[in-house]
Amino acid sequence: MTVHINGQPVTAAIGETVLSVIQSLGVRQVARNDHNQVSGAYCGMGVCQCCLVKINGRHKRRACQTVVREGMQVETRVNRIHGQEAP
Amino acid sequence: MSQHPVIVGGGPAAMAAAIELARHGVRSTLLEEASRLGGVVYRGPLRDGVQLDYLGPRYSEALSKLHGDFQEQAGLIDVRLHHRVVGAEGTRSLVVLDGDERLHEISYPQLVLAAGCHERSVPFPGWTLPGVIMLGGLQLQIKSGVVKPQGPVVIAGTGPLLPLVATQLHASGVSVVGVYEACAFGKIAKESLALLNKPQLFLDGLSMLAYLKLHGIPMHYGWGVVEAHGEDELKSVSVAPYSATWEPDLSRVERFEAKTLAVGYGFIPRTQLSQQMGLDHGFSDDGYLRANANIWQQSSEPHVHLAGDMGGIRGGEAAMLAGKIAATSILLQRGVLEEELARVRRDRYLSKLKAIARFRAAVDRYTERGVGQIALPAADTVICRCEHATRADIDRALEQGVQDIASLKMRTRVSMGDCQGRMCVGYCSDRLRQATGRKDVGWLRPRFPIDPIPFSAFQSLGTEAVSHE
Ligand SMILES: Cc1cc2nc3c(=O)[nH]c(=O)nc-3n(C[C@H](O)[C@H](O)[C@H](O)COP(=O)(O)OP(=O)(O)OC[C@H]3O[C@@H](n4cnc5c(N)ncnc54)[C@H](O)[C@@H]3O)c2cc1C
Ligand code: FES
Repeated sequence: MTVHINGQPVTAAIGETVLSVIQSLGVRQVARNDHNQVSGAYCGMGVCQCCLVKINGRHKRRACQTVVREGMQVETRVNRIHGQEAP
Repeated sequence: MSQHPVIVGGGPAAMAAAIELARHGVRSTLLEEASRLGGVVYRGPLRDGVQLDYLGPRYSEALSKLHGDFQEQAGLIDVRLHHRVVGAEGTRSLVVLDGDERLHEISYPQLVLAAGCHERSVPFPGWTLPGVIMLGGLQLQIKSGVVKPQGPVVIAGTGPLLPLVATQLHASGVSVVGVYEACAFGKIAKESLALLNKPQLFLDGLSMLAYLKLHGIPMHYGWGVVEAHGEDELKSVSVAPYSATWEPDLSRVERFEAKTLAVGYGFIPRTQLSQQMGLDHGFSDDGYLRANANIWQQSSEPHVHLAGDMGGIRGGEAAMLAGKIAATSILLQRGVLEEELARVRRDRYLSKLKAIARFRAAVDRYTERGVGQIALPAADTVICRCEHATRADIDRALEQGVQDIASLKMRTRVSMGDCQGRMCVGYCSDRLRQATGRKDVGWLRPRFPIDPIPFSAFQSLGTEAVSHE
């Protein structure tokens, strides 16, 4: 299946997480928090909230806990308070 | 109301409890937030058909046995994946968010809480850089079978997970710069006899060390992390020898290029639900809060059981035994087993647990954390990422006489963000205990919901709850 990471089409497999797709691109900078700090995945198990990305228009989705679906639009390093978009 | 016992979690403790109940003809409902069963150790690959040879034959065997046993009983286990328990209503029902983000209330006659643990986060300068990751989180990535972490990797921490992850990483083709175990070698050697309570685990440990040596991966004892460097992401890591109380010797710092730094200084049970239910808790020697259970794995509310890491960290094998004991207690409570028979079964599991407990106690003794490590963060090092509270903020609060976690939270906003303090609670508790000399400085109290949930989810509660079951 195909998902889009910051607009770029990426092939993903059934069952894989959004985080593993992001990591397969060699990307370590994943989220931007309310204090404008960029973070990477840290706990990998859903507790640290350091991998929050925008998925299909919704902010603050945990990449490590979300299983990919066909056509998903994922944006990294975006925060509602800090309007920056990923380059 | 569900007539069936409900089990929270889908790790080895939860699965073992469900299997045991089903073997006696008792149907149960199992709630797991992940997309797969197995918990943090036995979740298996995310993709079907992936071979995980590099994790070792003993792991593969345990993995397939647990899932095989579960499959045999699947007809009597109502598995609900993507179901996250986000709160508790007293000790009679749970609030659950399903995969479609609808809230349900599920009540239970008996409950097994087996939510496991998360890792203890240790702050030091640079720990928030992308590329710094917790050791177990890194292991989950290798186990997922999808992507490998970027090498070179530095591993720092304490305990048997270090050489295990180093071996798994190397076998999966990732370059490992070195492994830094904070505790001195002599301290581990002193525990050899006690570690032999689990001869197979002890031998596994030795064979991993032999593997690392064979492949030229240096294992340093009595060394630990000091700082992570980089602008936007991790570029290099500084390590130094640690004293017996874990003060780094800054005159002997060594620095290595690395893309990944995996840090593993222990675990903290997930007590959000057990706290919300108002169950009895106590503190472990390592300083973490855990729910108290008796030899039936019953909490202070006898129909609510605790199994696995929630009641203290003892590993996957112990988690399964505790799950079986909890199930045995439920079988007794439901009148499926008679008291005498239940007791015999329980004692059989308990005697197996004892050997593990002796082994774990030895591990706990050598992995005992030194207080020196809490001095690592600099004044501007962030301690609470969610609310951006720094070490200086915490220092100031302590100088002003703050004595417990609740007051520290009011003063500094630690724990008021999305993770509800799961990541900073270890450091805050350590600092307060050191500053006050007290063993009990409180613990972070969970709010409802224990994980962030969308507002839209609330619309379904009430109407859905009635139609459910
Ligand atoms: C990241 C990590 C890696 C580890 N690796 C090892 C290892 O390699 N070897 C080893 O011996 N030990 C390891 N440990 C220790 C390990 O936790 C125990 O050995 C063992 O897994 C405990 O089993 P458990 O069933 O108690 O908990 P877990 O295996 O942690 O299972 C708990 C399950 O409950 C689910 N859960 C938690 N809260 C909720 C909720 N509110 N709603 C719904 N579901 C929920 C979780 O998703 C999880 O699947 C690791 C621990 C961690 C945190
Ligand atoms: S990496 Fe911690 S929540 Fe996703």
